[in-house]
Amino acid sequence: MELTLAILVICIKLALIAGVLLLLPVPLTWLERKVAGHMQQRLGPMRVGWHGLLQPIADGIKLLTKEDTIPAGADRLLFKIAPIVALVPSFVVFITIPFGENVTVLGHEITLAVSNLNIGLLFILAVIGLEVFGVILAGWASNSKYALLGGLRTCAQMISYEIPMGFAVIGVIMLAQSMNLAEIVEAQSEVWFIVYQPIGFLVFLIAGLAECQRVPFDLAEAEGDLGAGYHTEYSGMRFSLFMMNEYIIMVLISVLCVLLFFGGWHGILLPLPPLVWFLLKVALVIYLFMWFRFTFPRYRYDQLMTIGWKVLLPLSLANILITGLLL
Amino acid sequence: MKRTAASPPKMGFRDWIGWMFFVDLLHGLRLTLSYLFSPSITLQYPDREKWIPYPRFRGHHYLRSDSDGTTRCVACELCARICPCHCITVVPHTAADGERRPQVFDIDLARCLFCGLCEDACPVEAIALGQNYEFSQYTPAALRADLDQLASMPGKVDRGGYVVAARLEAGTRISPTGSTEEGRHWWQQIRGMRVKRDE
Repeated sequence: MELTLAILVICIKLALIAGVLLLLPVPLTWLERKVAGHMQQRLGPMRVGWHGLLQPIADGIKLLTKEDTIPAGADRLLFKIAPIVALVPSFVVFITIPFGENVTVLGHEITLAVSNLNIGLLFILAVIGLEVFGVILAGWASNSKYALLGGLRTCAQMISYEIPMGFAVIGVIMLAQSMNLAEIVEAQSEVWFIVYQPIGFLVFLIAGLAECQRVPFDLAEAEGDLGAGYHTEYSGMRFSLFMMNEYIIMVLISVLCVLLFFGGWHGILLPLPPLVWFLLKVALVIYLFMWFRFTFPRYRYDQLMTIGWKVLLPLSLANILITGLLL
Repeated sequence: MKRTAASPPKMGFRDWIGWMFFVDLLHGLRLTLSYLFSPSITLQYPDREKWIPYPRFRGHHYLRSDSDGTTRCVACELCARICPCHCITVVPHTAADGERRPQVFDIDLARCLFCGLCEDACPVEAIALGQNYEFSQYTPAALRADLDQLASMPGKVDRGGYVVAARLEAGTRISPTGSTEEGRHWWQQIRGMRVKRDE
């Protein structure tokens, strides 16, 4: 009986997370287009629904019903599995993300995470690294020069940005004495780690931007020079899987920012429910990413490498050193 | 030391501090944020709004009539003669009152380049280019405007250059919903940019 109940709870949580993650790109694309429009003195989508709110649904229907073409010279099997390979890790990492403190329902204590792993942070960093394989596969299987170059760039970008990202997080782990995300948030109930770790946050934010391949580090799909990068040859539903993946990784980086540096669900000043605080902070970080996208130009490939290896890596190492000395 | 893009030539202490704290990037972010809260210049044309053109605008031709309703045109064919693309066809005849009037007055709008020379050439100020710019058709043949069509076309506006509320109706016309006398000034009030009104 206990076991059945536990399995049932896990199933409900999984279904909830998968559903939310699948639906999340809908409001996010709307928001992104609105932000883009207003920053360029346009209105953005206006015609489908109130202020274009139903526009992403119309786009989704269009993508679902479009013909799904596979280029003649493509490796058909790899071409088909690449979007799935890219999408699965970004769904998997969300099982360790806690969305609040434990709640008690009908006498049973339920954690607001599918699995409260003790090595949660390590698990996330390890699994999210797998996402790049999907992108590389897509670039390789498309048999197109643009896609190949996009995949190549993603590969190099990931290598140079995963390391500073991991190092930037070490400062937080040292402060919290734990890799468990819930415990890291617990450690911030007094003071948020952004106060102790401003450099760590900066490195994490920049590496995170590179991780989710958004401007100014969107070299893998640089419209100007690569068509659409690794998903140039993709169309229809497979293309939308890649888009969904991008948005989910953006949400993941925002969630990690909030959990690691902005006190998770701990609020300040206003006594709002913890989950509302959490979502509010995540939304703000997502907005920040969109704001960046419509402000900054793209870095050149060699500049990207320079920033990764010559700036972020020493900075994150120095951050660990200083944190260690001050502890 | 080799000069690269990352290390610009002369950087003072202040510049260096600014560079460290991403001052340039923050300037950019502030600018885009100010744009985010500035009014949009989008004209919601067929759905909600419509542009009323300036009086000098050269749109669909129209033929002026006298107060008794007879056309002013005397079928002198000067407009047809001066037209650089030969899009005007005028066939004169003698009307019931003995005046010389056009029997046929066709303008091929598919050929017309809206230069307004016909308006300049007309000795009796009969033909002119009006405010209507919504005359898209599916075939070039449908773009031939005859005498009746030209007589019924709207004339020039008194004052223009603004946007009024309008709605797309079943059919082809986008008709204003409210008063057309005064409207929003569209691009003139964007980000504090004031341009003298074109009268």
